[in-house]
Amino acid sequence: MKFDTVIIGGGLSGLTCGIRLMEQGRKCAIVSSGQSAIHFFSGSFDLLSRVNGQEVTNPLESIHSLPSEHPYQRVGQANIARLAEEAPQLLDRAGMVFAGTAKRNHFVLTPMGTMKPTWLTLDDFTSFAKNDKLPLSRATIVNLQGFLDFHTLFIKDGLTRYGVEVQVRNVAMAQFEAIRRNPSEMRSSNIAKVFDQGDALDQFAEKVNKLGKESDVIILPAVFGLFNTTVPAALKARINKPVVLLPAVPPSTPGIRCQIQLRQRFQELGGTHFLGDMVREGKFKGNRLRYVNTNNHGDIQLEADHFILASGSFYSKGIKAGPYGLFEPIFGLDVDGENEREKWFDKQVFNNQPYMHYGVRTDARFRPMINGQPVENLYAAGSVLAGSNPLKEGSGAGICLLTSLHVAEQILQDQDDEERYI
Amino acid sequence: MNTSKDYDVIIIGGGATGAGTARDCAMRGLSVLLVERHDLATGATGRNHGLLHSGARYAVTDHESASECIQENMILRRIASHCVEENDGLFITLPDDDIAFQSLFIDSCQKAGINAQAIDPDYARLIEPSVNPELIGAVKVPDGSVDPFRLALSNVLDAKIHNADLLTHHEVTGIIRKGDRVTGVELYDHQTRAKVSYHGKIVVNAAGIWGQHLAGLAGVTVNMFPAKGSLLIFGHRVNTMILNRCRKPANADILVPGDTICLIGTTSERIPYDEIDNMYVSTEDVDVLIREGMKLAPSLATTRVLRAYAGVRPLVAADDDPNGRNISRGIVLLDHQERDGLSGFITITGGKLMTYRLMAEWATDLVCRKLAVEKQCETADNPLPGSEKNDFSVKSATRKIYSGSRVVQMSAQDRHGTLASNIASSDMMDDAMVCECEGVSIGEVNYAIKELHVANLIDLRRRTRVGMGTCQGELCACRAAGLLGEALEETVQAKDDLANFLQERWKGMYPIAWGETLIESQFTSWIYEGIYGLKPENN
Ligand SMILES: Cc1cc2nc3c(=O)[nH]c(=O)nc-3n(C[C@H](O)[C@H](O)[C@H](O)COP(=O)(O)OP(=O)(O)OC[C@H]3O[C@@H](n4cnc5c(N)ncnc54)[C@H](O)[C@@H]3O)c2cc1C
Ligand SMILES: Cc1cc2nc3c(=O)[nH]c(=O)nc-3n(C[C@H](O)[C@H](O)[C@H](O)COP(=O)(O)OP(=O)(O)OC[C@H]3O[C@@H](n4cnc5c(N)ncnc54)[C@H](O)[C@@H]3O)c2cc1C
Repeated sequence: MKFDTVIIGGGLSGLTCGIRLMEQGRKCAIVSSGQSAIHFFSGSFDLLSRVNGQEVTNPLESIHSLPSEHPYQRVGQANIARLAEEAPQLLDRAGMVFAGTAKRNHFVLTPMGTMKPTWLTLDDFTSFAKNDKLPLSRATIVNLQGFLDFHTLFIKDGLTRYGVEVQVRNVAMAQFEAIRRNPSEMRSSNIAKVFDQGDALDQFAEKVNKLGKESDVIILPAVFGLFNTTVPAALKARINKPVVLLPAVPPSTPGIRCQIQLRQRFQELGGTHFLGDMVREGKFKGNRLRYVNTNNHGDIQLEADHFILASGSFYSKGIKAGPYGLFEPIFGLDVDGENEREKWFDKQVFNNQPYMHYGVRTDARFRPMINGQPVENLYAAGSVLAGSNPLKEGSGAGICLLTSLHVAEQILQDQDDEERYI
Repeated sequence: MNTSKDYDVIIIGGGATGAGTARDCAMRGLSVLLVERHDLATGATGRNHGLLHSGARYAVTDHESASECIQENMILRRIASHCVEENDGLFITLPDDDIAFQSLFIDSCQKAGINAQAIDPDYARLIEPSVNPELIGAVKVPDGSVDPFRLALSNVLDAKIHNADLLTHHEVTGIIRKGDRVTGVELYDHQTRAKVSYHGKIVVNAAGIWGQHLAGLAGVTVNMFPAKGSLLIFGHRVNTMILNRCRKPANADILVPGDTICLIGTTSERIPYDEIDNMYVSTEDVDVLIREGMKLAPSLATTRVLRAYAGVRPLVAADDDPNGRNISRGIVLLDHQERDGLSGFITITGGKLMTYRLMAEWATDLVCRKLAVEKQCETADNPLPGSEKNDFSVKSATRKIYSGSRVVQMSAQDRHGTLASNIASSDMMDDAMVCECEGVSIGEVNYAIKELHVANLIDLRRRTRVGMGTCQGELCACRAAGLLGEALEETVQAKDDLANFLQERWKGMYPIAWGETLIESQFTSWIYEGIYGLKPENN
């Protein structure tokens, strides 16, 4: 099988690359082996929230303080500013509406009841302009009876510190009795499935309206709209107070929905998606990758002019750690990181963990290397890249979206160059 | 509790020895206070192999310890059946080992009363398929596995049934003396940060390796010889029988199965006394443990390591030998009146987890002599709470009381024995699963919080195994923290508690942070710090 571009990994990065390239008329295939980080998505994409431990107000202006090997520095500040405008438009074309700008972080409420700076927030959730004060004085937190992944106590504790008066209520509904009977089934996605259809949502809203009469806002777990994208809006229309949703994982209901929408967008554009398949190895000719083999395709090779590695960090097995060192499992690419495992960690779990920075090493054009030699037609994007601690910086999705768009541009340019010389 | 109350006996240390002594004293009718600075079983008792020694390991080198072990082994099978797995053990000879040792070994076992039988290597492979197939000899012995957390807990529960008082998270900061008499203890309450004093006729120092410090507080000298040992827990149970090497005891030569896991240990390293609270497991320790462990069961090479931890053996240097060249592995009971002219103070230390009951008996006999109490020891005859034999079997009893799901039911029964019947299961809420890996229900968590002295999440983990499974406490920790916060009505502390729990868990993970463990760590950090927004400075 022959494609213009074969993308390894169908998380946020792989899908962004695929959509961008398909929108430009390139024929792409995505091979994706499993769950991706977006299944646990908080509802917000971070661009840059902290540099050297200091909270950032304007992410774009803070990029120059990052180390030179940081992916943002290597994409370049001007490119970042431009691509940061494009990213929400791409998401919008896929049917997802996000609020926020790269020039100024806004804030969202966390499940600990604290405020956190971020870049783009899905319209299910509520953005706040300031983090020192909340525009509310009385809140009702409503949980579904028996749902253990919504930690009302912590939310209440956090809000109380903001001077908010909080009451916590539980709602029991007959529709959930069946799933509650199996003690491990009362999880967010199963609840969301019930709300996806039928009259559960109406009944729920009615009960909530009775409980929250005295409050300015109703705080609920984000368990609305798994396959049915209209549910979050319908919920807000039926509840007669402003609704603030908070992440309730695992898994993330809005995260799964976003992943589905991105995948549908890619497929509607004509992209080929091999879900549940895994790239095993590649065949090189000189410095060029000719094709890859996958588990499900047996002898059928996936050939392409360009390849993108968007296989994620340790969590998705994009890079791996064994007792004797780090490696990239598909091609044996060069990995940036210490060899001795006692250097991988800090003994304090909440400190900056060195391993979080590790990933594949690339040249200036984001091409990974083998023994220091870049592979001519292979690019890497997203959390598989070395050079940042996205958790500590608050830069996770930003790095994914922006390096993906950047890499897609590199490929488009490459191809233009090649066509010119034909 | 009433601080002006004068106890007959105050026992320092909530390890197996202190818990056992509290039980024995209480059963003899004494009024008892047991104090522990952290939680039960946070010293050596919670940081060992959990090997229910048959005594075979000591048979060649230490006849006395060996015969104590086999006697206590048989007693614990009776009185603590819900803490014991009767797995049996194999002492294997590998091509590197001297096969001549085997006959000496069997002889010595038999002299100590241990039923040791040589079996054919082929047969050994048959009954224990995980064993190194290159073995050239095997001896079967009545080793077993013991859950030290449950053991310490059920001793304490029985002490309480016999009216003993318990203070956990209370540290002894001073020993009160009146001239040449000890009359009580000064305590620091770690939860309220208050200081309190309690008085008693006799104070028993059962503080394990920390006994040296406590003796110092009383103004007498006990020289401990701290020997640190590291262990690894593997993510599933590779072996069904305990595997040992048939040679003189050495590094990493015991593989003990228990519940759903198995553990290999230990290394042995002398450490300075001021490092006994710093239980760091080094990369070298981990490498030695895996390398040696593979010789017992080769499949360990590809089995996921779940946690690493270390403990310090409370060995005692002989009185005339402060350099510790002549250390005793046996039980050490010191009557400080006789030894140092200080009355009202006793130290019980040394020994093993295995021999905790015997140590308790010796210590209690001495206490009773001093208080002129005649009642005899009954701890070897009466089963511990959770291990009572009922008219109908434990299994059918719990099944009757439970309506809950099978996984939850079976796991709770394994953990609490007959006490599992105290776990609420009246509605669906009680049965909802907090920890999926270990099958812990809300009912069990609430039972533990109410009845089993739980002050924080880490204590809760010791009682219920919440967060002990293969996911190492990712999301169940947060669920449990919520329940705990509600039950204790301490919202503010609950976040601290969660952060502390994650740190404690990391301590056991970073020495082995590769493969799945590193993946889980990265995931957990993203969930707690990234999605939930948990930070230590929130607290
Ligand atoms: C649990 C979690 C939650 C997060 N939440 C947020 C958040 O709320 N906001 C934020 O800004 N950032 C968040 N992040 C940061 C996160 O890294 C990015 O947001 C982003 O989603 C990562 O996307 P990715 O595509 O680079 O990698 P991934 O999402 O990890 O996707 C990589 C994909 O590649 C596949 N793959 C790997 N190897 C192969 C192979 N050989 N063959 C085929 N497929 C393969 C994997 O199965 C996986 O599906 C989170 C990260 C984690 C781990
Ligand atoms: C690596 C290793 C492996 C082992 N393997 C085995 C085995 O397989 N089988 C076996 O039988 N034995 C084994 N042992 C030995 C066994 O663990 C110990 O002998 C036994 O647990 C000692 O129990 P203890 O109650 O005397 O001491 P500990 O369990 O150490 O209890 C002492 C308690 O005192 C408390 N304390 C200390 N200071 C104070 C204070 N100031 N105030 C209040 N409380 C205080 C501590 O917190 C602690 O909980 C092993 C030991 C180690 C280290």
